Amino acid sequence: MTIRHVSEVEFGVELPVFEPDTSLDNVRRFVRAAHWDGPRFTDHDAARKEGLPGALVPGIMSQGFLAAMIHRWAPDALIENVDTVFRAPVIVDEAYRIAGVVTDIDAAAGRVEIDLTVTNEKGETRVFGTATVRLPA
Amino acid sequence: MTKSLDIDALRERFLMKDFDEQVFEFSAAELVDYASSCGELAPRYTDPAHPEFQAPPTFATCLRPGRRLPEGFPNLPGLGMDAGKAVAPKAPILPGVPLTARSHLHDIYAKTGRSGRMTFLVTRMEIYDPAGTLLANADTRIVIREKPEA
Repeated sequence: MTIRHVSEVEFGVELPVFEPDTSLDNVRRFVRAAHWDGPRFTDHDAARKEGLPGALVPGIMSQGFLAAMIHRWAPDALIENVDTVFRAPVIVDEAYRIAGVVTDIDAAAGRVEIDLTVTNEKGETRVFGTATVRLPA
Repeated sequence: MTKSLDIDALRERFLMKDFDEQVFEFSAAELVDYASSCGELAPRYTDPAHPEFQAPPTFATCLRPGRRLPEGFPNLPGLGMDAGKAVAPKAPILPGVPLTARSHLHDIYAKTGRSGRMTFLVTRMEIYDPAGTLLANADTRIVIREKPEA
């Protein structure tokens, strides 16, 4: 269901799950655009030489996934704040799912608070975030 | 022996004082790639012809200061790790517009748990357009797990 107005949002509702594109090609596209190009993000072998489990999805890209997920659910949502904790690495070419749940609604102000998690195939939370968004009345 | 950071002294000396300034500029194609690779579908972030075309809301976190901490800041008594990032967009970031990013230490605090004391440093980058309009705040939290004094 696409959300257009704050009155359509229910406390505790789960946002549709989003499976982000963590492929090497897509991460390369992102880091070039962000001016963050570097082998730890774009080359598995180079990342392993640094002691990492593989090339990393930058934390700022995971944060971008969270915002994209919110806009897929509520295209007109204005994001006022996203606070993200990077608990563990997100690895390029591995599958992740992003879940979100509405944890607070201020209908008068049109504000909604959402908890968001990025988990891997084992169900381990790698990134946790909280977003505050504003929706039309 | 490693000495703990004196939080009150650090706050007095370093808080709310700009220590870095950088200028950035991004093209429309870069903003589209940034948004699209994150999975954005909203045309205001993916279509440069859209009347409200702008950078996606978390974009400001990709801007990096020239230095992580102010000049003269004491050596960290432990391993500094990225504990998270927060971003608060205030006004649209547009392509081809120079962005001035100023950084200051916004907060310094400590938490003590079973494993010892952890000190948190919050660096805030404020991003302005050439007219001086605040476009976004981007906070980076560094946590230092202090080594116990010998």
